Amino acid sequence: MIGRVWSLAVSVFFDALRRKVVWVVILFAAVMAAAIPSLPSYGFGVVEAVYREIALALTYVATMVLTVALAANRIPAEVERRTAYGVLVRSVRRWEYLLGTWLGILVTVGAAVAAFTVVDIVVGWLTYGEIMLRLAEGTFAILLEAGVVAAFCVAVSSITGPVVVVVSSLAFLFIAHSRSQLLAPGDALWGLYPSLDTLNIINPVAHGTGVSLTYVASMIVVFAAWVAILLVFATGLFSSRDL
Amino acid sequence: MVDEQATQVAAIRIDGARKVYSAIGGQHREAVRDVTFTVKAGGVHGLLGPNGAGKTTTLKMLLGLVKPSGGTFELLGEPAGPVARARVGFLAEQPYFSPLLTAGQTLSLHGRLSGMSRADIRVRSNELLVRVGLEGKESLLLSKFSRGMLQRLGIATALVHRPELIVLDEPASGLDPVGQRDVRNLILELREGGATVLLSSHQLSEVEAVCDQVTILNRGKVAAAGRIDELLNVAGETSFRVAGSSDVLPESVAGRVSDVAFAGGSHMFSVADNDVRIVFDALDDAGWRILSMTPKRESLEDYFARLLESSTEEVAS
Repeated sequence: MIGRVWSLAVSVFFDALRRKVVWVVILFAAVMAAAIPSLPSYGFGVVEAVYREIALALTYVATMVLTVALAANRIPAEVERRTAYGVLVRSVRRWEYLLGTWLGILVTVGAAVAAFTVVDIVVGWLTYGEIMLRLAEGTFAILLEAGVVAAFCVAVSSITGPVVVVVSSLAFLFIAHSRSQLLAPGDALWGLYPSLDTLNIINPVAHGTGVSLTYVASMIVVFAAWVAILLVFATGLFSSRDL
Repeated sequence: MVDEQATQVAAIRIDGARKVYSAIGGQHREAVRDVTFTVKAGGVHGLLGPNGAGKTTTLKMLLGLVKPSGGTFELLGEPAGPVARARVGFLAEQPYFSPLLTAGQTLSLHGRLSGMSRADIRVRSNELLVRVGLEGKESLLLSKFSRGMLQRLGIATALVHRPELIVLDEPASGLDPVGQRDVRNLILELREGGATVLLSSHQLSEVEAVCDQVTILNRGKVAAAGRIDELLNVAGETSFRVAGSSDVLPESVAGRVSDVAFAGGSHMFSVADNDVRIVFDALDDAGWRILSMTPKRESLEDYFARLLESSTEEVAS
């Protein structure tokens, strides 16, 4: 089972590496990161913090664009072009196919996030003389959120087309980051609201001292829970579908 | 005894297959209704039918791509499911692969999904690429492959894990005549190697050349099934192919023959079995050469057309 899922993930990874969108997004993000220090109006003493904040925000946007670009059309295209037939007529369960696809996207995005992180740290070091390893905490959180978004895209794309996936994933991101604007911590719905705020650690990484290991563990739990729910939902939808 | 039991196990058993597609607005379309047939292990079985007959839907239900509305499906003596499918190879009509993978990566993926080791995949891939005429193309991206090359790769992926049962949906689609001949030879090789092949095809000549048994579907039902000889032989008539010094058949023969055709310097005609001896002797006496004499057989095309006409009449009445 693990072998089949991993084989699918590797195939998705090699396929993604040859997609222009991956390299365009990475190149664009690298150029933008290199250009951050040239932005004007940095206050004295906070210039490194502002750099970290913009670098993480840029990494976040680039990662989400890449994730949606890779995940939105993966399954619809495979079903439409019948690429999925050759896989699913083997001893591959539909949930294995979905999990392998998701994992392949996550691995690809993970490689891109690692590249973004290296660029951010190198540019920060060359410009400010400080090795900002703390940025890796922030980019790790971004990767976890990308994993959730990829799972969401896989779930929606298991029964619809890429346009619906893109629109719904943007709506999903908006809703998942609007809890604090819509509710107060004491409200009855606070605990039930589908929120990804736990994965947003740009502020403590950019302006504070980062997050504790306990907090990192809580982020992983949130990530795993979201991904599990979304992929179970995706399996339910995809299993009932005629190909 | 064991061998006898093994050969008695059906490679495919489909019983009462039914598929109803529902559309928004409550409309239903019955694509397959009560299809039942068995494919014996170790032979080549043809699945024929016009477009919309239900062939592909039946195959998809058998292989888990479409959820059946009814019926039972068995593969190699087991309920059709992921476990049984590990022993089955499938070639879809117009197989598509990711254009961003190479032929080697594609074969490797399919081998890994079937539980093969890396070393075994490497050996088997090299062997299969030679066998399907793609030698040296292992590192080439599939975006650079022609349709015929993709079809050949599809055959290779279907065979990579040495399946006991191979389901081929229009395997010669997109291939040139040489490719079609290669596919035909490959099917015969597979049969000689003990595999079972289910061949779904529109190319009746291909089916006629390689299949032992056929099942013909029409309008979602089994319209006919049996050995090709039984379905096509015309009882009581014999076909002759003869050549002589004249363009006109001897008078003593002309009155006893039917369906006369003249092409390439030879005459072809049919004779009632009772008249075979008389016609043979008359031709011999007149100095004509008998090139062939075989039981009269309807072409599969003619049989197929007649079957479809009769079912259309049934529906009309």
